[in-house]
Amino acid sequence: MEDQEILSQLNTIIGGAVRKKDLLLTPETTAKDVPGWDSLTHMIIIDSIEKHFKVKFKLNEIMNFKNVGDTIACLQTKGLK
Amino acid sequence: MNFLNKIIAALKAHPGRQAFCIQDTFYTYSQLFSRVASIQSKINENCPGEQNVGIVINDDIETYASILALLFLGKTYIPVHPGYPSDRVGQILEQGSIKYLLSKKEVAYNGAETIVTGGYTPGSGIAPVPPEFAFGNTNAYILFTSGSTGVPKGVPITYHNLDSFVSAFDALGYGATEQDRFLQMFELTFDLSVMSYLVPLCHGACVYTIPDNGMKFMSIYNVLVKHNITFALMVPSVLANLRPYFEEIDLQDMRVSLFCGEALYKDVVTEWMACVPNARVENVYGPTEATIFCLTYQINPGQITDYNGIVAIGAPMAGMGAILADEHNKQLPDGERGELCLHGDQLTPGYLDPEKTKLAFFEVDGIRYYRTGDISFRNEAGDFIYCGRVDHQVKIQGFRVELSEVEFHLRAITGSSNVVALATSNANGLTQIDVIFEGEKADTEPVMDALKTKVPTYMLPAQIHFVTTFPLNTSGKTDRKALQKMIVQTI
Repeated sequence: MEDQEILSQLNTIIGGAVRKKDLLLTPETTAKDVPGWDSLTHMIIIDSIEKHFKVKFKLNEIMNFKNVGDTIACLQTKGLK
Repeated sequence: MNFLNKIIAALKAHPGRQAFCIQDTFYTYSQLFSRVASIQSKINENCPGEQNVGIVINDDIETYASILALLFLGKTYIPVHPGYPSDRVGQILEQGSIKYLLSKKEVAYNGAETIVTGGYTPGSGIAPVPPEFAFGNTNAYILFTSGSTGVPKGVPITYHNLDSFVSAFDALGYGATEQDRFLQMFELTFDLSVMSYLVPLCHGACVYTIPDNGMKFMSIYNVLVKHNITFALMVPSVLANLRPYFEEIDLQDMRVSLFCGEALYKDVVTEWMACVPNARVENVYGPTEATIFCLTYQINPGQITDYNGIVAIGAPMAGMGAILADEHNKQLPDGERGELCLHGDQLTPGYLDPEKTKLAFFEVDGIRYYRTGDISFRNEAGDFIYCGRVDHQVKIQGFRVELSEVEFHLRAITGSSNVVALATSNANGLTQIDVIFEGEKADTEPVMDALKTKVPTYMLPAQIHFVTTFPLNTSGKTDRKALQKMIVQTI
């Protein structure tokens, strides 16, 4: 799966979690840039991403997610089709 | 020895040991107390006669040094969260009679002058220490909890209350020493923070704080692993968030793992025990009004007492007692359900608002009791078991929230009288607030924006629903249980 396609799907997942339909993520976007993406929402977002892409992150991987691009890079290591 | 003298003894015995680790920077006891002395001179210069002094809380050494500076002067500290809406801060300043705020940087709050605590000069020396502190019934701190009428409720805790807590804590036999590394994961507006910084300082141990920005649960896990934490008091929400990853967690150095602030579930804590194989694990309980916590229950695998999956809250600590009472303040026998009422040395003298004190405290045979609002019963082993609430108070990540306070603000914002706030569970099993308006669906963004100016983030609803007509119960009142069922079906 292309990075752009993953980004688009993350946009839908994260937009839904923070209730912002017009959210426009980029690989550089961090949680701080998105109102409502707080500590609690973060774990719900992670859970939703895991379910959506049918993958399981390791704790150490999640801890290294500094921005959306890191999440995309990690998803790419999971062999998405 | 009182808690202040314990801290001084630790400082004298271990001036070069680490007292705090804040965002990977260590501060020794000596460095900490140099800052305490520096801040004390500023207090003495600017507001020597003020009893209540606010502190703008941040995750920095100046905040903790400010707390100690005030405590060692026998003053009363009142934490003020810089992220709280200005209305709420204004209410706290007014109720707490705060004219001065200690802050690392200049802040602009109406009616309060800032004393800047940053810009400390090394070599200010250790604070002079009187041979014996005895501040007794003076207030050590005042914390504000959610109030059902939209105004935060001020709970003062005295030096005597704190002394009693520290003595009772030591009597539990955790054996805290200067070798321990304590987790401090709480905002300083939340009284569990007081145990997490005060107990380690009384024993010459080191306090490891959690950054106040970033992803909290990740930061907690990071600190637990990176610094081999030996002693951690946490809210059960942390476990709910880390549970999917328990298999990866192995904290061999953890000696004591305590949980407080929310219902602790038997299945989750049983799994957690495999992550902390060498730890004594306990569920501790107590409202802010009874100083941090005052009941404890030691968890032994295979023998966990629970009710509906919620672990027992245990028995009172030294100096404290608990009874079950009916609505007429009559004590109920063991086995019967009633409202858990606490008495003893850790009990606050009462709220800042005497009217609220009258509602929550009562006296029988010269003993003063506090009605916790928690329904409980006591089993044959003498352990109290939590069964629910008598009112609409809920816990969100450990924070007390009166659902009626959320409703109060929403009514004021929207002008709608038919709004109900309820507690529900999210996908991770964590408690969240859902709000239901009676009427047709409307844009909720302006409402949420307005609510953000009135209440702290943890009180904001996670979901807003609309129901055309509210169901009514047999008394003609809004049927909250039916509404709860309706929204659970729609989530």
